[in-house]
Amino acid sequence: MRMDDQKREEFRKALREVKNLPTLPGIVIKLTQMAEDPDTSTEQMGRMISKDHILAVKLLKLVNSAFYGFPQRISSLNSAIILLGINVIKSLIISASIFEVMEDQDIELWEHSLGCAVVSSVLAKRLGMSEPEEVSTAGLIHDIGKVAIKMELPREYELITRLVHDKQISRIEAEREVLGLDHAEVGGWLAKSWNLPGKLIEPIACHHDPRLAKDEQLASAIVHFSNIIIRGMGYGHAGDIWVPALSSRAWRMLELTPTDLELVLAEVEEKLWEVKGFSLDIKANNEEAVPL
Amino acid sequence: MQQILTAQAAEGMVLAKDVLTPEGRVLCGKGTELTQALIERLLKMEMVNITVEGHPVVVAGEKSLKEELQDIDLRFSRVEKITPLMYLKKIIKEKLVASRG
Repeated sequence: MRMDDQKREEFRKALREVKNLPTLPGIVIKLTQMAEDPDTSTEQMGRMISKDHILAVKLLKLVNSAFYGFPQRISSLNSAIILLGINVIKSLIISASIFEVMEDQDIELWEHSLGCAVVSSVLAKRLGMSEPEEVSTAGLIHDIGKVAIKMELPREYELITRLVHDKQISRIEAEREVLGLDHAEVGGWLAKSWNLPGKLIEPIACHHDPRLAKDEQLASAIVHFSNIIIRGMGYGHAGDIWVPALSSRAWRMLELTPTDLELVLAEVEEKLWEVKGFSLDIKANNEEAVPL
Repeated sequence: MQQILTAQAAEGMVLAKDVLTPEGRVLCGKGTELTQALIERLLKMEMVNITVEGHPVVVAGEKSLKEELQDIDLRFSRVEKITPLMYLKKIIKEKLVASRG
């Protein structure tokens, strides 16, 4: 085995074990079991989630945020489960725990992710997808691999950041140079290991190269283009400001006319405005409400 | 449009978005021109932020329009051969100019 291969194997192992990431809440494992059992009702699942009061509040906050854009306020977990489906709820619970770490440590990545979720939601609805919430959730967690790299391989993460600055290359290029793998691949493994559905795994794993997608080509194309749009609007990450190349196949699949693109951007701008300052941190938000 | 602190509001500014109570009731509609009395009422009701037309409040450290347009060019500088992305760039620039106008 060449030295390089050996190193890559080490990185791979560290990233697959993800010891330093917040552990997947036991609740997700329970929910998976419940969802598989035809005798479980949504009320039972709602009751299970609501036992964790903070989690329940965070979930409702996410559900009511502008990137899902439901016209009415969703005030109960039951209706959230019915409207969004258990897969989205599961990935939201995962996001809530992952982003808790990210939000204090990497506000830039958090904003990039929220923005990408907004664009994905707008595009999925415009393209008439049957479950736009799943696509926007994929947009929300598309860069989860970056969080894993940061948590598990902090030294290499710093090296990657330095490389991005020094060589003025994109993050994904720097990751491949340092680790021999990239955050999209890592994100795909994580999503798989958490038993997220293929609808979420493929768009995460293929957001830089949607040609790799097999079953979820359209969703992958949407998240791919959403990442491009949100970077174009200035929500990049950690020195990597570049708008990445557009896959011509993804572009053809989206079938967007110039007018469509204009409408999409107008809608995104409007929604970003609402999402601005969106935080999962319940305490911080209460403080914000204190008058000047 | 620009989101500002209600404390920064001045007479003559125009609301670009409805001002909503925490319960979602419209306190004051989009398009309303602010008066001193209205601003005081909003402050009294503890509405911390409002969104107004144009870009009336200068924020310290904020980039000028010219700088922001240059930033957009830089971000797109590696995809200049991809036609749809050049169109995307054009729209983003137009929107920025309009929002500052």
